[in-house]
Amino acid sequence: MNRTTRLAGFVALVAFSTPAIAEPIHAILYKNPQCSCCEKYAAYLRHNGFDVEVKPTNDLAEISSKAGVPERMEGCHTMFINGYVIDGHVPVDIVRKLLSEKPAIAGITLPGMPSGSPGMVGAKTEKFVIYAVTKDGNAPTVYAAE
Amino acid sequence: MNTESNTRVSRRSLLQAGASLALIRALRSRPVRADVPNGYRIVAAPTRASLAGLGNPQTEVWAYNGTVPGPVVHLRQGEPARIVIENRLEQDTTVHWHGIRLPNAMDGVPGLTQPPIKPGESFTYALTPPDAGSFWYHSHANSLEQLGRGLAGAVVVEERVPVAVDRDILWFLADWRLTSEAHIASGFGNQMEAAMSGRVGNAVTLNGMVSEEEPVRAGERIRLRLVNGSLARIMALRFEGHRPVIVAIDGQPCEPHEPEGGRLLLGPAMRIDVVLDMQGEPGRRYRVIDDFYDGLSYWLTQLAYGEKPPLRRHPLDAPLNLPRNPSPDPDLVTAERHELTLQGGMMGGGTMIGMGGMMGGGMMGMGGGAAWAINGMSMIGDGHAGMEPALTFQRGRSVVLSLRNQTAWWHPMHFHGHSFRVLTRNSAPVPHRQWQDTVLMAPRDTVEVAFVADNPGDWMLHCHVMDHQVSGLMTVLRVA
Repeated sequence: MNRTTRLAGFVALVAFSTPAIAEPIHAILYKNPQCSCCEKYAAYLRHNGFDVEVKPTNDLAEISSKAGVPERMEGCHTMFINGYVIDGHVPVDIVRKLLSEKPAIAGITLPGMPSGSPGMVGAKTEKFVIYAVTKDGNAPTVYAAE
Repeated sequence: MNTESNTRVSRRSLLQAGASLALIRALRSRPVRADVPNGYRIVAAPTRASLAGLGNPQTEVWAYNGTVPGPVVHLRQGEPARIVIENRLEQDTTVHWHGIRLPNAMDGVPGLTQPPIKPGESFTYALTPPDAGSFWYHSHANSLEQLGRGLAGAVVVEERVPVAVDRDILWFLADWRLTSEAHIASGFGNQMEAAMSGRVGNAVTLNGMVSEEEPVRAGERIRLRLVNGSLARIMALRFEGHRPVIVAIDGQPCEPHEPEGGRLLLGPAMRIDVVLDMQGEPGRRYRVIDDFYDGLSYWLTQLAYGEKPPLRRHPLDAPLNLPRNPSPDPDLVTAERHELTLQGGMMGGGTMIGMGGMMGGGMMGMGGGAAWAINGMSMIGDGHAGMEPALTFQRGRSVVLSLRNQTAWWHPMHFHGHSFRVLTRNSAPVPHRQWQDTVLMAPRDTVEVAFVADNPGDWMLHCHVMDHQVSGLMTVLRVA
């Protein structure tokens, strides 16, 4: 079993198990085993009604790159919901927007670890720009800003 | 071995599912000793290696003398040695003799201590190892990729009087990031990783192959030399059913002691010599477990006892102390004291003036430059001409360095050309007379080390997580 098959398995599992309305949305969040801010982001999503499964991994770079996130656009953790990749500390309203609009993209990313973003310490000092990423090699486009 | 190997894959897969790429190995003999004492000729060149074990796809690697790890270089304490390195790679290289106290011109840092060895050229390293013990050699040019593709091997400097053990065994441990086709994954220098824990891989090899088991005999006493040749993987090894006694760290003998909690903490570039009295049952297997990373525990290998009756009824009575090496003792009363603060990385909390861990919505390292710094200064790469020393010591002075890790990450800090005594960790005295050349620092740790600046030249001090070194966690100290 390798990462690709494992990952494909997870994506398929999530895609075919459409949750009933009352059930929380299931998310799998891959994180560096030594990064603590990712846990805080998971807690933030749980507080907002998501069911977050956290999986430590040393293969984060491979996982996010295979999911379509360019290296320079990586956040510090990589999450999968309903077949979409959601990278970094993306605010929950934008996650919900993605899940309801269902655009034909691989997913979204908030690059880096911006101060004041969900799960991060510090004050918000600038606009968070969330990018849409695809797997066809096209340049990322702005999906939302907050 | 091949048929056995096939049945092992599935079991190992189950055990390691979710943790790392499932790979196996077949037994492999140790590299043989050269005919000429203290004389070696080593060629660095691309080749293929069976990291996953015989019968599995081979991996394209860069290797010394065609093997991964390279041949064990056996030297004798106090005797001159000449090692010719021939570069048959398509890029410059150098070799660093990690932990060996040697003349500065033989230290193998490109630009700083020697011109790089160009493709097709050779360089002769001439050195006389003053210390017996376990050391290693590795590329110090484009080192993230060259070490990551296999350019490393062990150096064993033998004591003048042999140590009383039944067997002297070396485990060269290396960590690889392999694709599902057993290729080395590209993506060296990923900036996110550089600012986190570095390029930790997914397959750990023991003497060049993923290991299913290592044969042992009941009753024997083994000196086991552990070398962590990984780019970034920190290991915490536990030996099920056994009580390893640490007798040397980084080649330097210490007072024999059992590690805290039975866990051997082995950062990248560190070596630990343990003595193991094999008191297990004939025919049984005992796992060697690495559980450093939370939730990512795996077993490295198994100690596989043969069916033969115990070699002896009770453990050997011989003392465990190794003869001391001639490192000069620093004079702590007259020593000059300096502080070196490690800064930067993810979750750095903005502790660096002008280049905080988070800044302007981005972070250090994401712009393609430095992710780390020492005392506010980032030296990046593998070494180059014109690196200004952060500190200059008068030759012969005793020096105490206080290393302060302000970052949220672990760092194995390596000092070239000297061994230092580890005095304190977070103000608590460090017991067992520990001399090291690489000290592993946990997040927020402060460690005091001391040494006599007796080796003239410009010496690098850097983190041995390769991604950290090349992205700023490096400085130069001068002994004038």
